[in-house]
Amino acid sequence: MNDQGYFGQYGGSFIPEILYSSQQELLKHYREAMADPSFVESVKKEMQQYSGRPTPLTHCANLSAQIGGAQIYLKREDLNHSGAHKMNNVIGQGLLTKRMGKKRVIAETGAGQHGVATALISARLGLECTIYMGAHDIERQYPNVFWMKQLGATVVPVTTGSQTLKDALDEALRDWTASFEDTHYLIGTSCGCEPFPEMVAGFQSVIGEEVKDQAMAQIGKMPDKIFACVGGGSNACGIFLPFVGTDTELIGIEAGGCGDGVGEHAKRFHTDQAKFGISQGFATMFLQDEEGQLAPTHSISAGLDYVGVSPILADLSDRGLVRMSSARDEEVVAGFKQLMKAEGIIAALESSHAIAGGLREAAQLSPDQNIVINVSGRGDKDIFTIAKALGDEPFKDFLATYLEGEK
Amino acid sequence: MSTLATFVKQQRQQKSMLLMTHVIYGYPTIDESLQMMTSLLEKGVAILEVQFPFSDPVADGPVITNACHDALENKPKLSQCLADITKLAAEYPNTKVLLMSYLNPILQYGFEALAADMQAGVAGIIIPDLPIDHHAMAAPLVEKSVDPIWLMIPDMSDERMEFVSQHAQGLLYCVSRKGVTGQGSDSQSEQSQLESYLNSIKKHTDVPLALGFGISTAQDIQGIVGLVDVAVVGSALLRAYQNGGLSEFNEKADELLTVQ
Repeated sequence: MNDQGYFGQYGGSFIPEILYSSQQELLKHYREAMADPSFVESVKKEMQQYSGRPTPLTHCANLSAQIGGAQIYLKREDLNHSGAHKMNNVIGQGLLTKRMGKKRVIAETGAGQHGVATALISARLGLECTIYMGAHDIERQYPNVFWMKQLGATVVPVTTGSQTLKDALDEALRDWTASFEDTHYLIGTSCGCEPFPEMVAGFQSVIGEEVKDQAMAQIGKMPDKIFACVGGGSNACGIFLPFVGTDTELIGIEAGGCGDGVGEHAKRFHTDQAKFGISQGFATMFLQDEEGQLAPTHSISAGLDYVGVSPILADLSDRGLVRMSSARDEEVVAGFKQLMKAEGIIAALESSHAIAGGLREAAQLSPDQNIVINVSGRGDKDIFTIAKALGDEPFKDFLATYLEGEK
Repeated sequence: MSTLATFVKQQRQQKSMLLMTHVIYGYPTIDESLQMMTSLLEKGVAILEVQFPFSDPVADGPVITNACHDALENKPKLSQCLADITKLAAEYPNTKVLLMSYLNPILQYGFEALAADMQAGVAGIIIPDLPIDHHAMAAPLVEKSVDPIWLMIPDMSDERMEFVSQHAQGLLYCVSRKGVTGQGSDSQSEQSQLESYLNSIKKHTDVPLALGFGISTAQDIQGIVGLVDVAVVGSALLRAYQNGGLSEFNEKADELLTVQ
């Protein structure tokens, strides 16, 4: 990264002038905080004592045998408090908010995992909390909305545009332009203007740092390949960055959705529907039409259908340091089921993209090779979507009976 | 001096305040938006700001954001927008036409191509998500005498005001308060804050000043006479159109134009 927050040609700061001074203030506080050992120690302590870190590296003997290739290990970010890697980032930014003396946080959320994580840390740190969530995502992920509200957060449905993550991000930015004096924008992924990509990736890098130690202790060497799903890119940045430039190959798996047509997937790589663009505060590869209008996206998982991608990953991909691939919805559900049955682990549908990609390539490797798949979150939140994807009829009966009982 | 600045200074010899009105290209349809523009041009507004819609307009409030999303249903093309507004500008030489859009549609069109296509009739451009730090991106426009209209905001440091002033030409867009477009606010203390803010800008530059955000009535405009050269009205005209079509839109424009 250079001193204006660029990663190659990506990143930078492209925000309305009104946000300039609060962005500069954040940058200054962030740099000071990271240079202060007591702050770094407080983040580490909260990650251990509140979120339960370190998360384990789990060897999947059954799954590895079934695939008949590499030894498969899972990095268990699903075992974080809140059930996803999102907790790492909100601990860091939550403590930074307190340090800056701000009283309120706002956040955007797609699947709702970042919204829940933000609401949890806000409750713990005594911060007022407003979450922006696309109305379409609220429909898909109501259980998360329920918890955000119970935790004391205000959840604002975003009804403009595609009513998903990108629109929630726009709305959070609009809030920030009016509220920056007492409010920190606690962005959930390694996107946005400087220093957000670097900051979020930095707080998430604890994932990869732990994998290094655990791989030495459990395998005796570094893994051959690491797989992570890529929406905005925070879990991928977190597990990849400590391995960039080493012999471990890093593979990001995007949402292949249900097809290659416009609006059927959320792939920002290997498609001519995505081009270099500048929006939402930063430069990256955005899915867009020829007029530069950001395009609709689809994924079976609400957390991956973001129209842009972390500038850090766009740059690493350009430089050949990360290889981007994708998995389609049906492949994702198959991977999800196979892991669940073989190992008794229920992964989030987002993370199941990484599983699908990992299983696909593990088969081509030999049993003395090792891969690590980042299980960024747990899947019990996806019960409604998964029950539907699996065509579970009794689940429908249950919902009908439940509603009947409420009348 | 830039032709836009010269125009504003000349007009101000006769008028205490110039009006800058805003229309979204393609809302609710391309034809109807052109009708709105023509109507304002017939009435002789000094400056017409045409917003080319973008899917993610982060500096706009709900009224304009929703209208932009509706406009996008009509698949507007920037090339056609430029052709249409250049034609209007030629027909109504007593009004200056400006383009407003966000960075991404402009980037995809290309600054060079945009400069070439604006040169004939569009005097300036407002890009709310292009910070002054990236002024070099707008250099092709400056070369063709199309003025990038930079933003000033309250509580800006002196140093940054000076930075913006160094690049200002044609017009400066002064944002009256924090937040997004389309939300009003008014009180006595705010008025005096506004005056000191505008006075601090004037210490740095003699480029004409436009004031926007929260101006919705003739009374609002009357309240800033003597402070700036141009009053910018955006959401209020759009709301009038949404309430009562072109006739209420025209009434609103007539009301705003009573301040001369």
